[in-house]
Amino acid sequence: MQTAAPIVEVRSLAKDYGAQRAVDNVSFNIMQGEILGLLGPNGSGKSTILRILAGYLAPSEGSVTILGFDHATDSAEARRCLGYVPEDANLYPQMLVSEFLSFMGGLKGLRGSALRSGLARVIEELNLGSVARRAIGKLSHGYRQRVAIAQALINRPPLVIFDEPTNGLDPHQIIEVRELVRRLAPDQTILITSHVLGEIERIATRVAVLLNGKLLTERVAATAPRVILRIQGLHLEKAEALLTLIAGVTNVQARSPGGFTNNYELTLQSAEFLPGIAPAVLAAGYALLELREIHLDLEAAFLALTGSER
Amino acid sequence: MGSFRVLLAKETKALFISPIAAVVITVFILLMGYTFTSWLFVSQSASLVRVMYQAAVLLLVFVPVITMRAFAEERRHGTLELLLSTPAAEFAIVAAKFGACMAVILTMLSLTLVYPAVLQYFSEPDWGPVYSGYLGLSLLAAALVALGLWLSALTSNQIVAAIGSMGLFLLLWVGDSLGNLLPDPFDVLAVNASLIAHFTPFSVGALYLSDFGYFVTVILLGLFACVRALARP
Repeated sequence: MQTAAPIVEVRSLAKDYGAQRAVDNVSFNIMQGEILGLLGPNGSGKSTILRILAGYLAPSEGSVTILGFDHATDSAEARRCLGYVPEDANLYPQMLVSEFLSFMGGLKGLRGSALRSGLARVIEELNLGSVARRAIGKLSHGYRQRVAIAQALINRPPLVIFDEPTNGLDPHQIIEVRELVRRLAPDQTILITSHVLGEIERIATRVAVLLNGKLLTERVAATAPRVILRIQGLHLEKAEALLTLIAGVTNVQARSPGGFTNNYELTLQSAEFLPGIAPAVLAAGYALLELREIHLDLEAAFLALTGSER
Repeated sequence: MGSFRVLLAKETKALFISPIAAVVITVFILLMGYTFTSWLFVSQSASLVRVMYQAAVLLLVFVPVITMRAFAEERRHGTLELLLSTPAAEFAIVAAKFGACMAVILTMLSLTLVYPAVLQYFSEPDWGPVYSGYLGLSLLAAALVALGLWLSALTSNQIVAAIGSMGLFLLLWVGDSLGNLLPDPFDVLAVNASLIAHFTPFSVGALYLSDFGYFVTVILLGLFACVRALARP
């Protein structure tokens, strides 16, 4: 069987700042179309790893390869394959939005009609039309963040790296950024960092947890929706078997049974089957006390991992 | 090459629309005009040798003001991180900033061409020292810009970059006087490292390959050091 080559290969990566080791022996791959979330507390080495991948920092040890181009030997080619959204949206305050985006597009090799169409596309995608002729320094933080994202996407790079893209945004803007990142995959591969568990949980298809520069674990985020079900009734001993018969249910796990009330965790084939759960439970003669969708229980995993390491 | 053109256009525009360029050019022209007029009345001769010296000394002070923001500001705003994550090579980034600074300085110097035109109108100046003087000023400016960019790339503080550059330029300018105090062969080295020793022949119309070599070497060393200072940490 032939396996596709990874978009990003990080091997035994280490970075020292003087005597302090900020990143220690980190290795991971990112495959085409994946959204890898790097999760960790402040100072855990997330931004350092991203800066090395973006080509801004050189590693002390190890290697980073992007689409087969090693940063150590083909850095310019590796950088041509990526778009980078640094933390805090540091941009040229005196430049106009459209002028800045044209400049960044030009640096990424876009010319003529390709540059014009790339510019028009990102302005539309990021809703920047109303501020295209305004100076970046006069924009709100939310708009500056959109401009930072737009410059990363202007040449449709295969890999897009986001460093804490939702920092300082209001809830509405956070949802917009989240939707945008979801739209980019699977055509583009995404690497995103955050110290906000909920953000990573909602966006990433795979999560890597960092602490003190070390990669603690990688987990695949739940792609199949799961629900917690709390039911009440007689003959609960038959409930588990009945629940497995509901259309779309692939797995049933009993949790904390007791008396006339039982909790179950159901795994569904897809979200389409979610509306059919409640009628099926009621038809089986049980009272439905609770039905809620759950995502990857990242918070518990993160606290367990980082708590034990601390 | 493509990245260089894009960077050069951006840097040149940024520098020319900044108040720094307007102030530097205005003050330079006012001081040069004063020097030209007063020297013309005092000497009653159609020569620009003294004017060339005055321009060279003013460059020692004004070039740091032009170069100080080049990289220090990029570091302070955090935009260097964005710039170095693009496919643009470090040398293209440095060369573009060098080109933009030189564009401002050459504009400044070209405005002084009115002085030889005035001399030509009223008299018959010796054009040899005029041509070689402007060539010497351009080479001197290029060497100072290369060194100024290097110092700007070492810090995120513009004032530190400016003061450091002025100190280095003045040291290199008066370095030949140190030759009187040093034993052989250091005295020769001190004289030959001095900017004034290599600029003086240009200002009086004498062209030597060694003077060209000196300025070209300083320019290349400055640019190389600047690229190294930008190299990914």
